[in-house]
Amino acid sequence: MDVPVDVWVQIIASGLTLGAMYAVAAIGLALVYGSLNMLNMAHGALMALGGYICFYTMTRLGMPALVGVAAAMVVCGAVGLAIYLAAAQPMLRSANFETQIFIATIGIGAILENVILRAFGPQPQPQSLNLTGALVIGNVHIPNQNLLILAVALGLMVVLSLLLRHTRLGRAIRATAQNREAAQLMGVRVSLVYAQVLALSGALAAISGIMVSSLSGLLPNMGGDPMLKAFIICVVAGLGNVYGTVATAIVLGLLEAWIQYVLGVRYSFALLLLLVIVVLIWRPYGLFGRKQVVRL
Amino acid sequence: MTALLSLSGIVCGYGANQVLRGISLEVAEGSLTAIIGPNGHGKTTLLRTISGLVPLTEGTMHFAGQSIGRKRPDEIVAAGVVHVPQGDLLFPEMTVLDNLQMGAYLPEAAKQMRIRLEEVFTLLPKLRERRNQIASTLSGGERRMVGIGRGLMAGGKLLMLDEPSLGLAPILIDQIYEVVWQLTRTGRTILLVEENAVRVADRATQIALLDNGTFAWTGAGAELMARPKILETYLGA
Repeated sequence: MDVPVDVWVQIIASGLTLGAMYAVAAIGLALVYGSLNMLNMAHGALMALGGYICFYTMTRLGMPALVGVAAAMVVCGAVGLAIYLAAAQPMLRSANFETQIFIATIGIGAILENVILRAFGPQPQPQSLNLTGALVIGNVHIPNQNLLILAVALGLMVVLSLLLRHTRLGRAIRATAQNREAAQLMGVRVSLVYAQVLALSGALAAISGIMVSSLSGLLPNMGGDPMLKAFIICVVAGLGNVYGTVATAIVLGLLEAWIQYVLGVRYSFALLLLLVIVVLIWRPYGLFGRKQVVRL
Repeated sequence: MTALLSLSGIVCGYGANQVLRGISLEVAEGSLTAIIGPNGHGKTTLLRTISGLVPLTEGTMHFAGQSIGRKRPDEIVAAGVVHVPQGDLLFPEMTVLDNLQMGAYLPEAAKQMRIRLEEVFTLLPKLRERRNQIASTLSGGERRMVGIGRGLMAGGKLLMLDEPSLGLAPILIDQIYEVVWQLTRTGRTILLVEENAVRVADRATQIALLDNGTFAWTGAGAELMARPKILETYLGA
């Protein structure tokens, strides 16, 4: 197939944007799964909430964009913390924690979505934080909003990586994820780590919700699709592996953009799922996962 | 001598299954106390109870003058109880150095990090060689050394070692115990769990024989060796 260079550039640019956006959504899930073994099914609803809070703060309260983003992060972080305190912590000692919290967070997600529906209505809204204009080089046309998403996502990943590697909290998160009991014996207060991880994941969900809604608009159930893709990314990468998750997200984003160009949008999700099936048959623990297979 | 750790009437277990049924013990400062006994009778559970991983059902625990019976594991570590768990429980994806640094996680220990790291490397030179290796790729003996080294990084007033010989070849067991004896010579208070009574009897200040959740016998190490009946009944020696 003969694809001109500028089309390649276009595919790579939109693929990187998609990948970076998925990565931000998936990191939040991976952090929570990695430290608590908790699949947070309310993550999509938190993304929608973040998108709406930013919209509300900017459009109805007339605040600047940065305040909108900060408000969304604070609110979603607080909801993440509330999910920990109200649902995860009371169940943590239960032998069936993983199943229970999975079902509980589906319920919390449904509640959140309906609260958003009541507050903002079912009609789609445009995200207020949205740059206009585009970077045009020859035939290549890259919207400024995509560039902003890419820059913010990369910046976030650098900050997160520094946080995980070089701060006390980061060391505690990694230690807890690798061996909960050993972390306790080192003096890590794991309940505090869990609470902080859920708050952090909530704030990340807010950012990724703002990103997604800036491209496809606000809807109360807008989080469902990106959350599903984020889960796919986490599973392919190996649940809980943060760096593997970022790499997988970028590769899948590029792949999706390429499939969309070559075969059309309607095939991209089906092929993504096919890829997941193949990867999981080949490596059930994911591409970067630890070599252990847990069967129910 | 004042007791650094004192346990009185400890009852605990996992759910309805009672593992410890009335344990009392005093550990004097600077002493080596060994808990011996057959497997599955609660030795590990006792250490896990002291470090707060297993909640206490009944009884009291005092450490260095403060009650630790209802405290969280992190508070108990901060009070000075360091637990080197059975099976090492290293952080598998971290390097040896990162594992050691996790040992000094608490602020008090973090201040002493450099000095302690040097002490650990002097005591366990192999770890200096291996410091940039990922923990999951170490051999069994090296892992044990990282486990002990990580415990030493915390400082602490009491070092609890849960079967440091478990699963190692005889020559490595000797090496590991040589390290333990070196630590006792420097005056460190150690609470040791060991299945093999003969290995520790002549060094231990105090030996407690744990059988079916209670202490069947407590006394000095030398005394135990003079009681062939106990050795035979409980330990098959």
